[in-house]
Amino acid sequence: MPTEEGVRGAAGGIKCVLGGDRVLKLIEYLLGPDARSIAESLGTVLVCSGEFSEVYLVSNLMADAIATLFKRGYVPYSAGLYAGRLRRSRPEFIPSVSLLQIIYDSVGPKRAIEVSEEGLKPFLYGNDILRKSVTKCYEPVSRGEVVGILGSDGYVYGVGLSNVDSCSELSKLRDLDEVAKNVFDIGWYLRGGTEPRERKYKVK
Amino acid sequence: MVRYELIGDLRSYLRSRIYGAVGDWVRSTALRFGYRDYMIARYLEVLGSREEVLNLLKAFEEPLKPSIRCNTLKVRSCSLLAERLGRLGYVLKGISWEPNSFTIEVLGSPPPGATHEFLLGMYYLYRGSASLIPPLVLSPRPPDVVLDMAAAPGGKTTHMAQLMRNEGLIVAVDVSRARMRALRSNLERLGVRNVLALRLDGARVPELFGPYFSKVLLDAPCTAEGLIQVDKSRKARTVLDDLFTARERQVRLLLAAVDSAVSGGYILYTTCSIAPEEDELVISEVLKLRSNVSVVPLPNIVDFRPGLTEYFGIELPEELRYCGRLYPHIHGMEGFFLCLLRKE
Repeated sequence: MPTEEGVRGAAGGIKCVLGGDRVLKLIEYLLGPDARSIAESLGTVLVCSGEFSEVYLVSNLMADAIATLFKRGYVPYSAGLYAGRLRRSRPEFIPSVSLLQIIYDSVGPKRAIEVSEEGLKPFLYGNDILRKSVTKCYEPVSRGEVVGILGSDGYVYGVGLSNVDSCSELSKLRDLDEVAKNVFDIGWYLRGGTEPRERKYKVK
Repeated sequence: MVRYELIGDLRSYLRSRIYGAVGDWVRSTALRFGYRDYMIARYLEVLGSREEVLNLLKAFEEPLKPSIRCNTLKVRSCSLLAERLGRLGYVLKGISWEPNSFTIEVLGSPPPGATHEFLLGMYYLYRGSASLIPPLVLSPRPPDVVLDMAAAPGGKTTHMAQLMRNEGLIVAVDVSRARMRALRSNLERLGVRNVLALRLDGARVPELFGPYFSKVLLDAPCTAEGLIQVDKSRKARTVLDDLFTARERQVRLLLAAVDSAVSGGYILYTTCSIAPEEDELVISEVLKLRSNVSVVPLPNIVDFRPGLTEYFGIELPEELRYCGRLYPHIHGMEGFFLCLLRKE
């Protein structure tokens, strides 16, 4: 089993570490202790770093297979559940749509905004979320941190970067004020991966 | 008849037999439908009558109905998915042998690869329904450890993950960088969690894992002679030598598939091609080179046509009758070949 320091592998400029709990702490910070427990139940953390640092959650059976790969000088292309991306600066972790959906389905939405059907369409073309599109807001939200973008059907359509510090701030905004910047939307699956998955940005 | 094992130079033997079978009817039919002569000569040999060859060629002119598989890893009720798509103008018809899948009888708007439901991973879209069959034949269940050897873009991988309820392990391998991106995108979109994806030539899998897998799927790269309905250029694009080049790679991959399976494990070989050179002649070569595998009957999912046991005077192993062939004019889906092997 992986130690706290992690089982390591490298190939083709990609370095991977299996194990460790930095990601779990970040999930707990963002979405609470229940969310951390859910992530832990999904398996061991695998972090693979090249141009980006990508986080996966893998079962014990898969972790054993990955450890075998490491010994042979290989690293996986992807593994298990893609859980998100690590960054050096805030926000340090951008959770994936899949991870958010699993957590929201289990413990309800947190750090999320619900968007109308009219607002989802431009969002799925890569646009940001405007005040007039927001129908609900789930605390906590904080400026410069991630928010899940929900449809009225309860599905997660993407991830944004909040421009407000609490849900109560929404009442002070005008219709065309930006509430969240588009970091990732599921329209990416249609655009065919011709652009980076999560957009690069700096928090002001 | 000559037994397969006794033929030294298969390529030369078949070349002379196939071109020797090109007569006036074959030439005129090839000209009428836009095919190469050798293809029609082979169809006549395989199907046995001019009438059935014409039925096949006419079926290849008809459009293929796309299919969708409701993804139960994300959707709790497939009837609700059908309702959502119905509101977009889609008319779906259930597939009798795959309870979570539908053919699209009438297209709605937006196109099926651009709906919110597609982006949310509620379904996987197929060009035709034959691709739904291999995962049902292999029928992986937890705690199976499965190898998918030419996995991208992931239709069969994600279907197997669905059958395994995201448990157990699937190692999905493909050599193409571009196709791996598509595989990964589909795995994420569909909420698959039990797949370890590797960009690797499938023939190298035994070096990495040894005999490790209880079930192996090799949906081999092929010349797509069963997909003429969706790619009319295939009628004239491929020469006979191309089939033998494809066959060499297919044999190499199937040998690796056999070597990757544990004793008692199953290996399913499939192609979207009706070319015997890519189908029965691949299995025959592997049976010759590996004494520890045998062909076993396919489950009765659809009424498969049996695999060929003779071809242009070549006597193939009798057990090939257990392989299955699908034809558009008989089964209403793309041309396809399946053969299930068991390792002793």
